[in-house]
Parts: sequence; structure tokens; C-alpha cells
Amino acid sequence: MSRGNNFLASLLWLVIAFLVIYPLSILITESFKVSGMDGSGVHNYLEFFRDIYYLKTFWNTILLSTAVLLVTTLFGIPLAYILARYRQRGKTIFTALILLPIVLPAYAGVFAFVIFFGKFGTMNLLLMDAGLIAKPINFIFGFHGLVFIEALHMLPFIVLSLSAGLTSIDPSFEEAAEVEGASGFRRFITVTLPLCTPSYLAGAVMVFLWPFTDWLTPLILGQVDFLPSVAYINIAYHFTDVHRKYMGIVAVVVSSIVCITLFLFARWWVEKRKYTGLSKGTTAEGRVIEPSSLIKTGSYLYMFFIAALVLLIPVVLGLAAFSRRWVFEPFPTYWTLDNFRVILLETPGLIKNSFVFSVIALILGVVFGLPAAYLIVRTRVWGKDALDFIITLMLAFPGIAIGVSYLLAFWQGIPLATHWIIMPLALFSRRLPYFLRIAHASYLQLDISLEEASEVSGVGKLRTFINISLPLLIKGVLVGVVMFFIMAFQEISTAIFLYRGGWETLPIGIYLNWHRGMEFGISAAMAFLMIVITFILLLIIARIGGGILKAAWGPGEGR
Amino acid sequence: MAFIEIRNLFKRYKKVTAVNRIQLEVKEGELLTLLGPSGCGKTTTLRCVAGLERPEEGDIIIDGKPMISEGFVQPSKRGIGMMFQNYAVWPHMKVYSNIVYGLKLQKISRQGIREKAKEVLELVGLQGLEDRYPGQLSGGQQQRVALARALIRNPKVLLLDEPLSNLDAKLREKMRFEIKSLVKRMGITSVYVTHDQAEAMVISDRIVVMEKGNIVQIGSPHEIYEKPANRFVADFIGAMNFIPGEVAQVLPGADEVYVRTEFGERLLCRSIGPDAMTPGQKVYASVRPEDVEVFPEAPQTGENIFKGTIVHKAYLGNFLFLFVSINGAMIRVQAPYQLPQEEGQELYLSLHPQKCMVLPE
Repeated sequence: MSRGNNFLASLLWLVIAFLVIYPLSILITESFKVSGMDGSGVHNYLEFFRDIYYLKTFWNTILLSTAVLLVTTLFGIPLAYILARYRQRGKTIFTALILLPIVLPAYAGVFAFVIFFGKFGTMNLLLMDAGLIAKPINFIFGFHGLVFIEALHMLPFIVLSLSAGLTSIDPSFEEAAEVEGASGFRRFITVTLPLCTPSYLAGAVMVFLWPFTDWLTPLILGQVDFLPSVAYINIAYHFTDVHRKYMGIVAVVVSSIVCITLFLFARWWVEKRKYTGLSKGTTAEGRVIEPSSLIKTGSYLYMFFIAALVLLIPVVLGLAAFSRRWVFEPFPTYWTLDNFRVILLETPGLIKNSFVFSVIALILGVVFGLPAAYLIVRTRVWGKDALDFIITLMLAFPGIAIGVSYLLAFWQGIPLATHWIIMPLALFSRRLPYFLRIAHASYLQLDISLEEASEVSGVGKLRTFINISLPLLIKGVLVGVVMFFIMAFQEISTAIFLYRGGWETLPIGIYLNWHRGMEFGISAAMAFLMIVITFILLLIIARIGGGILKAAWGPGEGR
Repeated sequence: MAFIEIRNLFKRYKKVTAVNRIQLEVKEGELLTLLGPSGCGKTTTLRCVAGLERPEEGDIIIDGKPMISEGFVQPSKRGIGMMFQNYAVWPHMKVYSNIVYGLKLQKISRQGIREKAKEVLELVGLQGLEDRYPGQLSGGQQQRVALARALIRNPKVLLLDEPLSNLDAKLREKMRFEIKSLVKRMGITSVYVTHDQAEAMVISDRIVVMEKGNIVQIGSPHEIYEKPANRFVADFIGAMNFIPGEVAQVLPGADEVYVRTEFGERLLCRSIGPDAMTPGQKVYASVRPEDVEVFPEAPQTGENIFKGTIVHKAYLGNFLFLFVSINGAMIRVQAPYQLPQEEGQELYLSLHPQKCMVLPE
């Protein structure tokens, strides 16, 4: 029935062409338009790479990415090793805590740490009250703070990929090295780590790409000289200054090119060095070691330290959410539920919008994602690999690129952006790859002979899908659904460019609230609410099965 | 003087006993095989010798030095070479680096290492391939890399954990001989683990048959085949017919026994020891298919002559495999390929008493 498959493929391609290829091409063409001149040219790009300021932002971003990658790797290797190799009690709880940042909204961290580590934040006030310091220490308002916050946020990616790599190494590789006379450390450096490289790269790419799309954190810390922040300011603020707008677009395009190049490079490198081998049937744990008590204590302390930092985020936000006028005090003094009252009663639109947009995006995601997964895994339709490739490539695009391209593409010509439907559409486009990865992985686990047996019994393809495939896929699909929802729910980089009055989502509300300098407790309460909702959804996933997540976490995951 | 001594080795995984207090001695220069079905403890025993497992009790003594009782000696310090079932050839290093990995840790000059590598590459037949990556080699070549890596340090002991089971049959046969001749030439004491009894027969000086964590029999391939200690060994090595019956009469001299079976008349069998000797005792008369002689007509002389009907005749090229029914009881027979009788026809079988063993139940 490949006619049906071809039809399906064409439909999907149409959707992709409309929602991805078209906007992105508009983005690129717009970047070539020069202000005060008819027609186009490369002037903007020339100016970008000649202007001291823009060059500075470019290199700052590269520097930030490198620093964040280094820090996460340094702190991540011991964590991954502990999680993958040591038999310790309480490992699951620590693992969950350390991985928490993946599902916290990205901006939650910076808000919480500003409160806690700011000039007159909890930490400084406590230290000054104790007489340990005379003047406040600048913990976070600087490059170092930026690195710290972004590294903490991306740490789980490195830890997950490294520990996946460590557990999947065939133990006999290390045993052979041991028999050959190599001590523990030498073994680790010459055999274990190199064999983890493909897995590590998957996480490393996502970590490196993050600063190219994180426009908000630098802004909040008062450090605007980074590509995504400059792009945001130029486009969203100075929309009357056409020239600046174009420069902002150029910044977005340059970011995208860097991201895509690195993404493709990493994929290519991983493919080239496929480290497969035979296996006698090892335990799923890989090699598990019982560490000495000194190392055990050390690891507990280390995990505790990281987990404490992570826990600070929801705790501090929670404190701020339930209080008001928390300034110049180490801890809140005036407790109230007022913040929540404001959100739920006076501006319930935020929550409503967030849910409605995310649910619509989700439905679109499932309707598109399941057939796409089917097409890619089960058929040989012409163009299916290209489809897979483009959708995966979408992961590499900074969120701002999608937001800006939609803004440009759907304003004139096809005025979609004048209707609120643009919000869920944008969310759908940005988060689709996540659902597809998970659907893809689930499909791979479904033995094709189960479907073939159904067809041989006389049942058509669609019925087979509904009666056989779907019930067996449902676990993975549900996990994908929840993950998609969480990520759409927290999305800000794309939505921030497209919203108009009345369409604000919770994340946008948080940003606006902070930006207008209003009672901070409200922002905190919104963030806290988001964390609670996310947490509940995560518990649902945990019930259904996290094994699918491991399968889908191949090359190319992230925000 | 035993080169490797395994003393009272006891290893348990949670509730399951993997190795149940075995004693074993490996002579210097000998190639000893641990043979048995999955789960019998052979691999665990080998890994204890290597130091990759820590037994709950017992000691391993290599060349006079205890590896456990006077402080646990790490695998890296035991001076052994090891071959793994999945080769364990490191995919991120070239063949050359794989082979010299352990050698680099000894104090030898770069030139010395290069020479040794050249030597051992020729020994295993991989000259010219030292710059390739394992991913570019076939399974057989990868296994040779593993062998070269194990041999280059001139280990005192070589441990082989089912190294050939991932290769195809023809290659397996060839590699068996190569490994054996190399190891014998270099005089290395070797312990080999396999579940393939044909492989064990070909390669070993002595075989240790194991079942469920215990040693069942130790002997040369000939001894194990001709004089199995019990039903398990008899069944595991080669093919065997087991004809259930009872001891009818023990002949003076206690060397021969009459056994009453479903075949009708009594079967004259060879006893293998005092265990199967009481009249009335339930036993198995055991005879290998190749030891059953086939006659188109009743032979004039001989013991244990039976008439049977061919139920199934399978042509295997160089011989036939027959399923013959004698009074309803089935026996498998290996017959010469020129047998004229077809399925459903009758023929005569002769079971030579010396080839019929009585085994206790």
C-alpha cells in the first residue's frame, strides 16, 4: 500500500514545508535586506563581522559555551561515575535530584539564585550578619555567575550521557585492560573514557548550544553582550529602528549557523567512530564496584553538595512565592498567599493560555509525530530519511530563531501571527523533535513481526496500527506526550516574540513581571506553580516508565 | 608440581552456588579444559583464577604463590594472559596499540616493543595489519589480535574463556589447532573453558567435566569418552543411547552384568564399577550409536543380537543415522551409508558387550 504511504509522506512534507522551511527561508532572506536601500546584499553580515560590538557578542557567546561545557564536564564526570559504577544507598533519590534541572524552567534557576546569592541576597546577608564579611560578595552578577547558573542547568545532560556511556561499555573491555596490567586510573583514561566519547558528545552538543539560545539569563544578570540577548533586544525592543532589527536577525542567523554546524559535526563524528562490539550478555548495570568507605563518604558529600544547589531553586522560589516584600532580609518575614490569589483570580489568563496552547500543540504533535515515526521506521517511502533529518535538525535551532522566523514569515503575506493560533503552532514546531525521538525509539522496540502477523491474518494497515501497534506503543507515546507537554508549557524563547496582549503564557508572565519591576513574589509564585505542575507530570511519567527516555536520549536532545 | 592449584574454591551469587568447593590442579605446560553446560561454574572458576571474581572461600595458587589467602592479588598483578569470548579488542585503538598495551607498562625500550610486536604478529599471522582498526577486521582476525595481545607478554598462564564460540564452524576448527600448537610450542600452562565437547576433545590434555558447580570427572579425552563416571558425563560427551533396565545378574569377577531391558532378552554389559552391581537395581545400559553393529540378516555368533524395525533413516553423507525400534523401545544407530534397508524394514543389531556400559541411575 505504498500509495497510501506516499500520500501520508506528502502531507507531512507539506506541514514541514509550511511550518519550518518557509519561515526559516524568510528569516534568511530578511537578513539580507539592508535598511535605507531597496534590494538586498550582504551588507548586514559584513557589518556584523566588522563591528567591534557585534564581534564581541559573538566571541562572548563562544567563550560562554566553552566555559559552560568545561565546567559541566569537570563536575559531571565524577557524578556520572558515581551514578554508573558505585553501589550506594540512596542513589535513586540523588539521581532524581541531580537530574531535576532538566525539567525546571530554565529561568527558574537565575531568579532563585539572584534572590539567594544576590548583593543583598540571603547568602550575603547571613555572612554579613555573622560578621564574616564586611561588604557583599559578588557571587553571580558577572561572567562567573552566568557560567555557574547555566552549567547547573545543563549538568544533567552531561551526567545522563556520560553515565549512559559508562553503563553501556562492555565490561570485558575494562577487564581485558585490567588483566593486561593497567591500574584503575590508567584504565579509566585509556579505555573507559575514550569508549564513552560517542555518548558524551550527544550531551556535549546540547550543552554547547544552549548559550546560543538563552537570551534571558544574561539579561537578568545585567550581562547583555551575548548573541541571543542582543538579538532579542534588537528585534523585540527596537522594532522601529529597522537597521537594528536587521542586525538582530543577522545575529539570529549567525547563531543558527553555528549551532547547526556543530550539531551536524558531532553527529558525523559519532557515526564515524561507531564503537560496537560483541557481548557475552552482561548485566544491565555494567561493572558495579563497591567503593571504600573513604570514597563512599566523599561521593555522598559531593552528590549532596550538587543536590543542595539544585534544591535551592524550588526552595527559594517557594519561599518567595509565599511571601511579599522580601528584601534586605535573609529570609522572608511577611508570609502571604496573596501572590497566588493574584495569579489565580486576577490574571488567570496566564494559566489558561499556557494550558490551552500547550494542549493544542500537544495534539498537533501527536497527530504529526505518530505517522511520522511510523513512516520513518516502517516504510521505505522516498524522502523519509530527509524528513527524519530535518526534524532532528530542528533540535539544533535556537528557540529564538524559530520565534523570529515565525514573526517575520507570518506577519505579512500569510498573516497567521495576527491570530492566537500562532502560539500553539510555534510551540508545536519547536518541541516536535522531542516527541518524534520518543515515538521513534518506541517504534524501534516494537517487533515488526507483531504487525506482520496481524496483516497476514487479513487486517489492513490502519486497523493493525490501532489494534496492535498503538496499544504496544502506548507506554512510550504517553511518556513522549508528557515530556512534550512539559517542554511546551515552559517554553519562552519562541513565545516571547510572538505574543500579543491577551496571549501571554505563564513563562511570559514571569518575564514581564520581572521586567516591569513589580512585586517579585508574583513572578516567584508563577515559577513555583510551574515547578509544581511539572513535578506532578513527571511523577506520572515515572509511573509509566522511564526506560523509554533512556532509549530516546540518543544524539541530539536538549531545550 | 602443580603450576596452578585451585583449593576449596567456593563462590556464591546471592542464593545461588556457582562453584561448590572444588579442588583442582593444573600441571605445568598442560592445556586443561573446563567443560560443561551453561551454569556449571566453569567460567566462574576461570574468572576466579584470573582475579576478576572474588570467591567467598578458597585459594588460587599460581606458581607457588597464593593469590587470595595472603592478600588478594589484583588481576593486573597476576602475570596472566586472557582471551575473552567477545575478543574484548579495544575498538578505539589500532591493532598495534591493542597488542602492545600491556607490554608498554613494562620497562622495555620502544625498539624492543616494536620487535616483540613484529614477532607475535607473525606468530598469529597478522603481519601487515597492525595499522588497522578492529572494526576493519573479521571476527577471526580480531580473535588473533586478542591472542597476540595475550601472548606478547610471555605470560605464565593463559586463560581462555570460550574464545571460539563466536566464530563460524570451519574457522573454529582451524583456530583450535592454531591455539593448541602455539600454546604448546611456547610451553604456557593454559586453562580453557568451553561447552563444546568436540572442541574439548580436540584441544585438551585433560578435561574437567563440571555440573552445577561441582567437578564430575577429570581425565584425558580418551578416559572421559570411554569410561564416563556417570550418566551426566556419558550424555554430555558424544551421543549416547540410554536403555533403562534392571540388573538381572552379576557375573563372577564383577566385570560383566546382565541387564533386563525392554528389548526383551537380557543385555550383557560391561560394568564400570561397584556402583551398579546389585540385582534388581535400576540402571541404564548405555551404548553409543557408532558402537551398534548393523546386519541385514541374523548373524551367527555374538551376544546381544536383536531384531528391530527402522523407524527413521537419515542420510548424513558419510554415514546414516537410524532410529530403530526393538520391541517398541527406540535406539539410535550410526550405520554405514551403503545400507540397503529402508524405513519400515527390519534388520539386526548387535551390541558388543564391551561397548555397553552399565550406568547407575
